[in-house]
Amino acid sequence: MSGSGPAVRVSIESSCEKQVQEVSLDGMETYVPPLSMSQNLAKLAQRIDFGQGSDSDEEGVETEPRDPQEWGKQEPEEDEVKFQPSLWPWDSVRNNLRSSLTEMCVLYDVLSVVKEKKYMALDPVSQDPSTPQVFQLISKKKSLATAAQLLLKGADKLSKSVAENQENRRQRDFNSELLRLRSQWKLRKVGDKILGDLSYRSAGSLFPHAGTFEVIKNTDIDLDKKLPEDYCPLNVQIPSDLEGSAYIKVSIQKQAPDIGDLGTVSLFRRQPKAKAGTQPWHVKLEAAQNVLLCKEIFAQLSREAVQIKSQIPHIVVKNQIISQPFPGLQLSISLCHSTGEKKNQRASPEKPKPDDHLYVLEHNLHQLMREFHKQTLSSIVMPHPASAPFGHKRQRMAGPMAYDKAEISNLQQNEGLLEKIIKQAKHIFLRSRSIQLQLNIGVEQIRVVHRDGRVITLSHQEQELQDFLLSQMSQHQVHAVQQLAKVMGWHVLSFSNHVGLGSVESIGNASAITVASSNGEYAISVRNGPESGCKVLVQFPRSQSKELPKSDVIQDGKWNHLRGPYKEVHWSKMEGRNFVYKMELLMAALTPCP
Amino acid sequence: MEAPPVSVLPITGGTINMMEYLLQGSVLDQALESLLHRLRGLCDNMEPETFADHELVYLLKGQQGNPFLLRARRSLSHPTVPWHLRYLGQPEVGDKSRHALVRNCVDVATSHSLPDFLNEMGFRMDHEFVAKGHIFRRGVLKVVVSKLSRILVPGNTENTEPLSLSYLVELSVLAPAGQDTMSEDMRSFAEQLKPLVHLEKIDPKRHM
Repeated sequence: MSGSGPAVRVSIESSCEKQVQEVSLDGMETYVPPLSMSQNLAKLAQRIDFGQGSDSDEEGVETEPRDPQEWGKQEPEEDEVKFQPSLWPWDSVRNNLRSSLTEMCVLYDVLSVVKEKKYMALDPVSQDPSTPQVFQLISKKKSLATAAQLLLKGADKLSKSVAENQENRRQRDFNSELLRLRSQWKLRKVGDKILGDLSYRSAGSLFPHAGTFEVIKNTDIDLDKKLPEDYCPLNVQIPSDLEGSAYIKVSIQKQAPDIGDLGTVSLFRRQPKAKAGTQPWHVKLEAAQNVLLCKEIFAQLSREAVQIKSQIPHIVVKNQIISQPFPGLQLSISLCHSTGEKKNQRASPEKPKPDDHLYVLEHNLHQLMREFHKQTLSSIVMPHPASAPFGHKRQRMAGPMAYDKAEISNLQQNEGLLEKIIKQAKHIFLRSRSIQLQLNIGVEQIRVVHRDGRVITLSHQEQELQDFLLSQMSQHQVHAVQQLAKVMGWHVLSFSNHVGLGSVESIGNASAITVASSNGEYAISVRNGPESGCKVLVQFPRSQSKELPKSDVIQDGKWNHLRGPYKEVHWSKMEGRNFVYKMELLMAALTPCP
Repeated sequence: MEAPPVSVLPITGGTINMMEYLLQGSVLDQALESLLHRLRGLCDNMEPETFADHELVYLLKGQQGNPFLLRARRSLSHPTVPWHLRYLGQPEVGDKSRHALVRNCVDVATSHSLPDFLNEMGFRMDHEFVAKGHIFRRGVLKVVVSKLSRILVPGNTENTEPLSLSYLVELSVLAPAGQDTMSEDMRSFAEQLKPLVHLEKIDPKRHM
């Protein structure tokens, strides 16, 4: 190695960097001043181990064979100081350089041998073929798919368990049922009890019944057995006097009942089936609320029946109020309350007549009571100024305006519930008696619906309506004769709504009827036209008429019983308040005494 | 002219003797909204009613004893409505367990010439104030939430300044004498208003 090849000059330079002593505040660096010559000498001299004198010949010999390299930089000291090789500062440098030279030489040798290609050859390293993109994609996809499946399975399980929990909760949870109850009914917590209010107090009722119900948890479930279909975790306990169901029966009867029958109304109609979706507590609470309202209505009615003075006093017996709107007509209002127990539901002795019960009036009673409730809530009751007591505005004016007794009594609620209902019953009764005509008054036309289904459209001309009503009146009178005949026992021989005989009426058609008495002796013929008025003729038996000439043809005496000539009746002179009375009198006069 | 001697006789009239049951409390202005909200829920379902009233307190100074006090109140928001004259007796010192303040009460609706009439009778106005607020009812219970304002210029109800930063809450019932069931209902209602407002029996004597 040494000696082969040309010598290589290696230049070595010390970094010659000065050490920074300090950095001043303005950034200027102060360097440690380099050692002066004398200082350097002193430093080097310190290193000399004067204790080793000429014994260090071996070491001196080792340092003799210098490298072929020359030192570029000459130290200023000319004196050959015996360097301790271990303390030689360039030792490491020299060793590194030597090893690098060795490496370079080896590399050079290898390269020159390889270049010949005889003893050494270069072989490229086998490259792994890069995995194609598609393959990578597929493998990634598979791994992702496995991971996704695991996650999906887990999520599936979770969602199933959550749904199951919810399902259970919905059916079984007391708290969710309570929430539903609270969304429809007023609840409050008192101590550890949950109470509710089913009265109409918050809607304006002044009935003193508290109407509190209690909500209790249904704990009689057996978890082992399957839950029944209508299981509800919540149960309500209603006051004992509101159990069952009730309704108010309003009926009109023609004849007065026996005294002994009073207060025994207990007819009961079947409860309507609850809708499928409603909870059992809702049905129970609604029924109890209805019972409370019926009780309030009946209490109000009976209070009024006792207090209000009327010509025919009202009778209040147990759960029934009887009054007489018209003589011979009896209105009965009764509170039918059934507690729903089996033993009360024995068959009533008489069959319930469905059309006896006036549902309209029952409904009206409920409406009127609610109307009364609303009135107590209206703001006309609120006092201004605020310190004044509650009361109707107009009543407060009574003092300052010096109302007299008549005015004050006018201010009072003139009509109570009872009077209103009696008025309505009277109206219903009268309506059922009168002509069944319905007038629909529209914007352009009037539409008239007749009892027998005919629909007639009239224009705005009032004459048309007038004519129509006149024609209806005349027809009605003839119909009345027909009804009367039925009642009196006379037979209808002929009846025609539109006769083709006689003078032509300008309005409508005349109608006519012929009725014969029960023994056939007399007959009454009535022709009634809207314009021509009423014409009544009576047919007498031949034996009573004097004008008939005796004839030779009729030999037998029995022919005298047949009816003969007609005689007209002076209808205007007839006694009786109206047509029907007159006709009744006529018929009665013509009916022979037995 | 000197006022004639007045002997204070117990008020008896031809009508039933009415007693007023009263519980009072107060809330700060900030808490008003929540109190109104609560009252709307607890009281009857009506449109909320506000009021603005002007009250004048008249005194008749007799030669002996306490002066006779009458309260005349008119509505500022409804000027045509009659005036309201009120006499409140001494609180009944019945059993201590009664939960509300009970006192005799006479209410009369009068025409608009009331101040002149009272002046002619010898009464002198002692003080006046304006009360504005809300009024609620629950059955026969009346709840009045009012802000009292001082009138700066006598007779001028526009120029007022609030007396305090709070609202006065009063729960009252008017009932015939002898009916003592009211105080229980009042107490249970007052319980439902806690802790928003503490309604209690405040004896006016002890604060004078």
